[in-house]
Amino acid sequence: MDGLQVHGIRKVYGSTAVVDNVSFSAPQGRILGVLGPNGAGKTTIIRMIMGITAPDQGEVFFTSDGVKTKGVPFPTIGYLPEERGLYKEAKVMNILLFLAGLKNIPKIVAKERAATWLKKFGLEDYAHRKVEQLSKGMAQKVQFIAAVLHEPKFVVLDEPFSGLDPVSQDLFKAEIRALAKSGATVLLSSHQMNMVEALCDEIFLIHKGKEVVSGHLEEIKERFGNFRVNLLTRSFQEPFLKTNMVEKAEQLGEERYRFILKEGIKPLEFVQALPPGLDIRELAISRPSLHDIFVNIAQGGASDEGYVENSSLGAYA
Amino acid sequence: MKGMWKIARWELMRNLTNKQFIIGLFITPLIMALFAGVPLLLDRLNHPALSTYYVIDELGALQHLQAIVPDNITLEPYANPSAAADKVKETDASGYFVLSQDFPVTGQIDVVYNDRSMETMNALRGALTALLQQLRLASSQISPEQVAFVTAPAQVKEIAIEEELEPQAMHMAVSGVFTILVFFLIFTSGTMLMQSALQEKRDRMAEVILSSVSPRELMQGKILGHFLLGLIQLGFWIALGLPIARYFWDFSVMEALQAVNLPVILFFGLGGYLLFSALFVGLGATMEDLQSASNSQGLVLMLPMLAFLFLGPTFTNPDGTVAVFASIFPFTSPAIMMLRTGLTRVPLWQTLSSAGLLLVTALVLMGLAAKIFRVGMLMYGKNASLKEVARWLSYKDN
Repeated sequence: MDGLQVHGIRKVYGSTAVVDNVSFSAPQGRILGVLGPNGAGKTTIIRMIMGITAPDQGEVFFTSDGVKTKGVPFPTIGYLPEERGLYKEAKVMNILLFLAGLKNIPKIVAKERAATWLKKFGLEDYAHRKVEQLSKGMAQKVQFIAAVLHEPKFVVLDEPFSGLDPVSQDLFKAEIRALAKSGATVLLSSHQMNMVEALCDEIFLIHKGKEVVSGHLEEIKERFGNFRVNLLTRSFQEPFLKTNMVEKAEQLGEERYRFILKEGIKPLEFVQALPPGLDIRELAISRPSLHDIFVNIAQGGASDEGYVENSSLGAYA
Repeated sequence: MKGMWKIARWELMRNLTNKQFIIGLFITPLIMALFAGVPLLLDRLNHPALSTYYVIDELGALQHLQAIVPDNITLEPYANPSAAADKVKETDASGYFVLSQDFPVTGQIDVVYNDRSMETMNALRGALTALLQQLRLASSQISPEQVAFVTAPAQVKEIAIEEELEPQAMHMAVSGVFTILVFFLIFTSGTMLMQSALQEKRDRMAEVILSSVSPRELMQGKILGHFLLGLIQLGFWIALGLPIARYFWDFSVMEALQAVNLPVILFFGLGGYLLFSALFVGLGATMEDLQSASNSQGLVLMLPMLAFLFLGPTFTNPDGTVAVFASIFPFTSPAIMMLRTGLTRVPLWQTLSSAGLLLVTALVLMGLAAKIFRVGMLMYGKNASLKEVARWLSYKDN
């Protein structure tokens, strides 16, 4: 199968393993999210994939058109590093042409594509401006263009959304989806799990250099998270809290309740069991967010309630 | 290889379209001309300092003395010291003195000065000494012919045992010029190269570039680009300076090129450039910025200057131990060997061992620089310590 395979890579700095026996594969045409908190080892993994640092153990393979290679396929890979930057005194178009040239894209082709991309990001007026005249967000867009201008088969994006406003984030998300749809293998990293979980087809959660959980987003959620119900009502009765469908019930505010359903209990069953005549102001049923799952697993279930609270209510209430 | 040329072209174009570079291209020769021209001009303005001394001539030798003193010193007879002193104050003359009758015996003379120009005072002292000698010789009844005969210097003629040993002015001048040019190339391109590596870090571009080319290609591309840039700079300045030089000193370019051992000069020029550029580019990768260079980094930066220490000894004794050592030691050999080829006939074994050592050192340094470069380029926000650099050298390539 085409895509990117990582086999048991390990990197030790000093006496700590920053990345410890990490394996995953990013299938072609899909988006793999390497997610984890700051300092989890995401950038180190990406740098090892990009051949910038050598793993102490393990290997990285790139397969395209059925051919498996070990070294980084320079012409067919696109990379947006975490450390952002562009030559400050160079002009936007010149940098794009130079970087596309390094990927063996003829100048005429590169010029046309660059113009199209700049227009897409609303930067057409900046093509002949110097980079130092761009805002941070604009520079990030130019960097993104540089990473994908050569229509790479492999796209590696390290924290592509950090520092972007919500509108630009959506723009990036749409373009990343389009890249995967056109057949590229996309690997991106982020520490903001809730923000990218909807974007990724595959998830690789990492903490302290080790895999926490990985796989299909839905599978993970099924595996690790029972349904949650957030309810806003005035006419609630205490005895309901003790129903056998609920694993955990809490009153969060005067009128706000949250239930975590027992394993195997379907949302519909729970809703049907609600007392008749209940005055529902708001009702939200959801799987826990990736963040909650992460916190649960990484901290051995002893999650900080307030932390979980904010994230799930923030997302669904 | 392809990546290296693309990087080189980018470095070249980036600088050639940079205003600062273009301004520097014109300003540098101007500054150099200024530095060479201004002292000359000042000297010329300063030189014809005319000075007048009043002489109270009790001895009757004033005419004699007037014949001896340089043209810019005027001696005027005067009646008595106190009147002369007043006159000096009044006219701003240089001073006065009494040529007393017992001068031939005592040799003592008091020059009362108003302005104390070292140069005129020395000239006056020389003239008075000559006068004293003449007076004393005359009193001991030796004829002027005899005097001339006794004091004539030996006439030494230097004849080389083989013609090639003979130092030719052209030879020396051309190899000297080449030495300076190569030095200049190493310094300007070397520092630009280092700044380019620093800039790559400052602008956080290294990782992006390294997703398209290998660190080695990036480094070699930079070195090549700045070498070409240096050549363009040199070419421009030579094109600018040659007609001027030919106007002042009549010489033929072909003759000048034939006067030196061109292959040796080209080899050592190129070898020296490679050696120092590897040093500079590696150094740049270990630094955050030029201002924060540590002592050990500063020392490396000074390494090309080492050759300056050996210029003097090489000039005075081009076949001496010091010169031979400096022309073989790889950090000084590029400049010193070039200089020696102009001054003397360098034995073949020395040329070969120096060339070999330079080549090996340059290649080894290139390899080390590449290792430092690949780690250093990705290190942001601090200077690397010696210990860290040593550890980088032990990292394996992948």
